[in-house]
Amino acid sequence: MSATPLLRIEDLRTYFYSRVKHAFVRSVDGVDLEVMRGETLGIVGESGSGKSVTMLSAMGLVTAAPGVVTGKVTFNDEVPQDLLQGLEARVEIERRDGRIMRVAKDNPSWQKQVERNLAGVRGRKISMIFQNPKMALNPFETVGQQIAESVRLHTKLNSAAEAREKALYWLDQVRIDSPRLRYDNHPFGLSGGMSQRAMIAMALAAEPRMLIADEPTTGLDATIQARIVDLLDDLKNRLGMTMVLISHDIGVISRLSNRIAVMYGGRVMETGPTAQVLDEHAEGHPYTRALLASTPRPENVTATGRLPAIEGEVLDTINVPCGCRFHARCHRINDAVRARCEAVEPELFEIAPGRRIRCWLYAPQ
Amino acid sequence: MRRSSWKAIASVLSQELVTTAALLLGVSLVVFLILYLAPGDPFAALLGGRNLSGAERDAAFDALGIPRTWYGQYLAWVGHVLQGDFGISMRSGQPVARELFSSGMNTLFLTVGSLIVTLGVAVPIAAYAAVQPASLRARAGILLVYLVSALPTFWLGYMLIYFFTRKLGLFPILSGSDETQEYSWLFALLPVVLLGLGNGALSEIVRYLREEISRVMSEEYVRTARAKGASVWRHAYKEALLLPVSQIIAAKMPFVLGGAIIVEQVFNWPGLGRIAWQAAQDRDYPVIMAITLLAALVVRLGSFMHRAVYVAVNPRASQQ
Ligand SMILES: Nc1ncnc2c1ncn2[C@@H]1O[C@H](COP(=O)(O)OP(=O)(O)OP(=O)(O)O)[C@@H](O)[C@H]1O
Ligand code: SF4
Ligand SMILES: [Mg+2]
Repeated sequence: MSATPLLRIEDLRTYFYSRVKHAFVRSVDGVDLEVMRGETLGIVGESGSGKSVTMLSAMGLVTAAPGVVTGKVTFNDEVPQDLLQGLEARVEIERRDGRIMRVAKDNPSWQKQVERNLAGVRGRKISMIFQNPKMALNPFETVGQQIAESVRLHTKLNSAAEAREKALYWLDQVRIDSPRLRYDNHPFGLSGGMSQRAMIAMALAAEPRMLIADEPTTGLDATIQARIVDLLDDLKNRLGMTMVLISHDIGVISRLSNRIAVMYGGRVMETGPTAQVLDEHAEGHPYTRALLASTPRPENVTATGRLPAIEGEVLDTINVPCGCRFHARCHRINDAVRARCEAVEPELFEIAPGRRIRCWLYAPQ
Repeated sequence: MRRSSWKAIASVLSQELVTTAALLLGVSLVVFLILYLAPGDPFAALLGGRNLSGAERDAAFDALGIPRTWYGQYLAWVGHVLQGDFGISMRSGQPVARELFSSGMNTLFLTVGSLIVTLGVAVPIAAYAAVQPASLRARAGILLVYLVSALPTFWLGYMLIYFFTRKLGLFPILSGSDETQEYSWLFALLPVVLLGLGNGALSEIVRYLREEISRVMSEEYVRTARAKGASVWRHAYKEALLLPVSQIIAAKMPFVLGGAIIVEQVFNWPGLGRIAWQAAQDRDYPVIMAITLLAALVVRLGSFMHRAVYVAVNPRASQQ
C-alpha cells in the first residue's frame, strides 16, 4: 500500500439542486477511492447509488448548473494534479445541522476553472466509455473520423493520413469486423456491440493512462455483453491498462476487476480485493451480502422463478438518515450495535490490509 | 463535404424545382384570376379609354394581338415569362424585369441584412443563455430581447430614426422624391436594424434556439466530446446551430418579406414592398404578377435551403 495511487479521490461530495423538491440531492456524499496503477477497480451498487456521478464529478463532467462538487481528486501522473483545484473558492455553501441550506455559485467562472483543470487530462490521460454507445457517438460523423480526431488531439500523429492509419489500427485492435468498411460508417449503421467497440477504440486511441468504463455492457444483448467483457479483459492485460469499471453486473465486475468498491447512498460502504468482497460466505458488509444474494445467478432464483431483490427502498439522498445509511434495510443489525447504527455513521474500518468496511459490526473493539 | 451530401442536395434540388414550378403556376393563376375578376378594365389604357361594344372590343384585341379569352391571355403571359419577358410596367413604361431588379436588390439587401441582424443578436444570446442559464448576463440578455420584441415595429422605427438622426446626427431625414435621394450606407443600415430587431419574432427565435442548444448540449454525444477533450461546439454546431438556424430562416422568410413591406413604407425605401404597394394602387397588372412570382420564389428558396442543409448535415438522410 506504499505506492501512490494513480487516482485518489478524497471526501468527494456532489450535490444537485432539485427544483421539484426544493432540496439538495446528495448524490455523492463523501466518497474516498484509490485507483492503483495497472489495476482495475470495480464500482458496484444499486441504481442511484452515485457510481456514475462520482466518476463524472472527478472528470468535471457534471453539468447541471446548480450542482456543486467539493473534495479532492488527485491525479498522480508525472506531477500530482488536483482536478478540483480552485473550485471551492467559487462556491459558498451554507449548512445548518449538516444539511445544506443554500448554495451560491459563480457558474461561469466555475466552469472555466473546471476546463482549466481538466484540459490535457480529459480524453488524453483519462478516457471514458459509456453505456448506450450508439447515443454516445456523434451521429453526424463517421466512426473513423471520431477515432481519428482522438488520435490527432492526443498523440503526436498530426496528418490526416497518419491519424487515419492509426484509427484503423485501433479499430483492428478492438476486433471490429472489416475495419476499413466500418471506418466510413456513421453510428446509425452500426449495431450496439460494434458501436461499443468503436467507443473503446476512440478511448484507447488517445493512449490514456486510465480508462473509465461506465456500464460498458449494460443494454447490450447477453452474448454481445460477454464479448465486450472478453475484449476489455484482453485489452487490459495486453496494454497493462488502469481501469475504473462501473457496473451493477456483479458477473462483469468479478471477471474484470482486481478490487471492488461497493457504493450505497453516495458513499463507499466497503472496499477490498474482488475475491474477498464477493465471497458470500466470508465476512463482509451487510449491504454487499444483500446485493450478492439478489444477483441473477441460477442458485439465487427462488422457486417461483423470481429474483430476490434487496428489501426496502433505495436511499433517499435528500433526507439522509442519521447513523448508518443502510440501517432501515439492514438484516444483521443487532442489539449490541443498534444504538450506534441509528445514531452515528460508521467510518470505513480497516479489518485487514486493503480491506475496509463501513459497519459497526466491524468496529475495532 | 461528403460526396453523398452533394448527391442528396442535388436530389432535393430536383424535387424542389418541380414543386416550385407547380407552385408558381398555381399562385400566378390564382392572382391572375383575382385581377381578372376584380372591377376595372386592365386594358382601359390600351384601348384609349373608349367604351367599346363586345364586337368592337374583339376587333381591337385582334388588332393589338391580344388573345380574347382570359385563359388565352394567361397562357400568353406564361409564354412570355418563360422567355424572360415580364412585360412593361403600365405606370412607368419601363420593362418590369428591369424595374423589379433594382428594387428587388434593395429588398434583398433589406431582408438578408435583417436576417443577419436577427441571428447576430439571437444566436449569441441564445447560446450563452443555454450554456449559462443561471448567470446574470444571460438573464439580462433575455430580458432585453423580450423588451425589444414587445415594442411595435413602427414605434421602434420612429425611436431609431429619432435616436440616430437627432441624437447622433448620423442620417439625413428624408424628403423629396426617392429617385433623386442619395442614400448613405449608414442610412441603409437603419431599416435593416429595425427589421432585424423589430419583426416581433426575435424573442420567439431566441427561445427556440436556446431550447435547441440546451437540448443538444445535454445529448450524450456532446458529453462524449467533452470527455474526449474535443471542442464541444465542433461536435454540437450541426445539430445545435446549423439545423435550427436554417429552420428559422425557412420558417420566417414570409414574415420577413411581409415586415419588409412595412419598413419600406416607414423609411421610404425603394424596394419591392413600395413597388408592390404602388402597383396595387395603380392596378399595374404586369408588375403585380411579377412580384407575386418573386415572393413565392423567395419563400420556396428558404425552404429549399433548409432541406439542403438538413440532408447535407444528416448522414441518415443522405444515405437513403
Ligand atoms: N444532472 C443531475 N441532476 C440532478 N440529479 C442527478 C443528476 N445526475 C444524477 N443525479 C442523481 O444522482 C443520483 C446518483 O446518480 P448516478 O447516476 O450516479 O447513479 P448510478 O449509481 O450510476 O446508478 P445507475 O446504475 O442507475 O447508473 C441519482 O439519484 C440521480 O437522480
Ligand atoms: S452499521 Fe449497523 S445498520 Fe449499518 S450495516 Fe452495519 S449493522 Fe447494519
Ligand atoms: Mg450510472
